[in-house]
Amino acid sequence: MKSKLSRNLYAIPYALWILIFVVAPIVLVLYYSFFDIEGNLSLTNYINFFTPVYLKMTLSSFWYAFLITAFTLLISYPTAFLLTKTKNKQLWLLLIIVPSWINLLLKAYAFLGIFGTYGTANSLLEVLGIGSKQILFTDFSFIFVSVYIFIPFMILPIFNALDEMSPTLLDAANDLGASAWTTFRRVIFPLTLDGVRSGCQVVFIPALSLFMLTRLISGNRVITLGTAIEQQFLVTQDWGMGSTIAVFLIIIMFVFVALTGSRKRGM
Amino acid sequence: MSDQVIIRFEGVTKQYDQDIPVLNDVSFEIERGKFYTLLGPSGCGKTTILRLIAGFTEATQGEIYFNGNVINNVPANKRQVNTVFQDYALFPHLNVFENVAFGLRIKKTKKEEVAKKVHEALAFVNLEGYENREIREMSGGQRQRVAIARAIINEPEVILLDEPLSALDLKLRTEMQYELRELQQRLGITFIFVTHDQEEALAMSDEIFVINRGKIQQSGTPTDIYDEPINRFVADFIGESNIVKGKMLADHLVEFVGKQFDCVDQGLNPDEPVEVVIRPEDLEITTRERGKLQVRVDSQLFRGVHYEISSYDKDGNEWLVHSTKKATVGDEIGLYFDSEAIHVMRFGETEEEFDKRLEAYGDGVGNEE
Ligand SMILES: Nc1ncnc2c1ncn2[C@@H]1O[C@H](COP(=O)(O)OP(=O)(O)OP(=O)(O)O)[C@@H](O)[C@H]1O
Ligand SMILES: [Mg+2]
Repeated sequence: MKSKLSRNLYAIPYALWILIFVVAPIVLVLYYSFFDIEGNLSLTNYINFFTPVYLKMTLSSFWYAFLITAFTLLISYPTAFLLTKTKNKQLWLLLIIVPSWINLLLKAYAFLGIFGTYGTANSLLEVLGIGSKQILFTDFSFIFVSVYIFIPFMILPIFNALDEMSPTLLDAANDLGASAWTTFRRVIFPLTLDGVRSGCQVVFIPALSLFMLTRLISGNRVITLGTAIEQQFLVTQDWGMGSTIAVFLIIIMFVFVALTGSRKRGM
Repeated sequence: MSDQVIIRFEGVTKQYDQDIPVLNDVSFEIERGKFYTLLGPSGCGKTTILRLIAGFTEATQGEIYFNGNVINNVPANKRQVNTVFQDYALFPHLNVFENVAFGLRIKKTKKEEVAKKVHEALAFVNLEGYENREIREMSGGQRQRVAIARAIINEPEVILLDEPLSALDLKLRTEMQYELRELQQRLGITFIFVTHDQEEALAMSDEIFVINRGKIQQSGTPTDIYDEPINRFVADFIGESNIVKGKMLADHLVEFVGKQFDCVDQGLNPDEPVEVVIRPEDLEITTRERGKLQVRVDSQLFRGVHYEISSYDKDGNEWLVHSTKKATVGDEIGLYFDSEAIHVMRFGETEEEFDKRLEAYGDGVGNEE
């Protein structure tokens, strides 16, 4: 009896934390979403969300998040695979993880310098005889920088999945007649699918609501749901509409997690 | 080389980065349809031999033949052998059916045939009805049988088994020993089985290779190896034995613990120093007067079917006796044994020299009266 009581006592800080920092904000967001800009209780925000402006914005958010996730995966999987084959794999992994500890804003400013009209990238293009180009404020630079920032978050779960895999499974596949490619398709990839899933989650969801990069790197050419929320709260001061977009963002996130949720399997 | 030979190692050396090779100039032949066991202590190179046969690793030197062709450069997925791994290496994302079907799927076998063959293979290992189970839902013994089914479905000429029973409890292990042996005889294909359990090796094999430090110490049938161990390592590793230093006075006459005994060994140099082996079950307890050796009982353990009695002679040599009769600790007793019970080992004699000596002297040691 006593242990049950004390266990409940220990759970209190945790429960409080969840209540104050997770449940309360969501409830508040939900609450504000039902007030229009004049402060009247109404559903206008929800009706507004289903107008072409916001729907297009949602679609483009999805599209960019999808592109970012896809490119990040394309680069991260082979990298994680090569990492597991190196001798000091933990060291290499650390080297790849370290940049993610640096503040996002700093990295964004660094890219401003690199991609700027007189930046390193353009000097290189000059030297190669291609001539300088407008790199900053393009879709390319936005996706490039986003992918760069998300790579460590994708590599980590995939690396762990690959690293956990018993090497005798590969011998076994080989033994049963599988070529290297077949082994990858039928054994390695299915066994790392959970890692790929969680990697995609940690990239796709934040990518949906990126807003700092959209302004700094793409010069607000790309408008995501994140940018819209920021604008509504800070510029238009329409807290109701901002909250409504946030509500949809939260719903989308839950749907995405549910869809990519890992099936239970393995030993 | 006869048609019966399916695998042949010729002077195979395997060396990793270290100075000492893991396998050192190993040569042997494996015949079709027999049950072979590679027996040796941990780290002696057993798994390395299997990996060389399966093609997971390459020989540093020497040739590996399969059906008369050198296969050193044939990749693993093109070899006619299948392996049952020590940890089974079943694919955790596939169910029992798909695990067993793996090899056939790669060969793009037709659907109906896959179903039929998987069913047959599972029936073979007594796992009918388990097709849709996940691997994590199977017990250790069942997993092992899935691994065997997965290996036999490809109808390989040779199956390699790397300590497949070591993870099982004693009872299940004994059961699986019978099952494996029976399975091999039903299938009629060659099994190469790795173990470091000598009882398992003696119980299951047609032929045993005793390996130590990357060298095959002795090969032969279980009785050959048990009755005529070639050196101290083999005698010690296979079964329990009493080993004492002695001197070969002449053919059929050996001296140890200061006495002379008749024996059946011959073909050694006069006065050659030797080691003498007597198995504990060949020693019989009797009175001091009737015994060939006089010893004092030091301790006694009941082992179920027999007593294991440890005793010492006056020179301090330990004599282990397996007897169905009980002794009394502290008693002076006599030990009696036949002249056939004495087995003489020369120092540093290789298997070849040993076989040659036996051939040169007729029927061999054991059969002489
Ligand atoms: N990949 C490797 N790199 C370096 N050394 C290795 C490698 N694989 C095996 N060895 C060494 O080779 C020796 C023999 O290994 P092997 O696995 O063949 O032993 P084993 O007889 O199967 O032992 P066990 O009964 O413990 O499984 C060991 O000393 C081991 O350390
Ligand atoms: Mg081994």
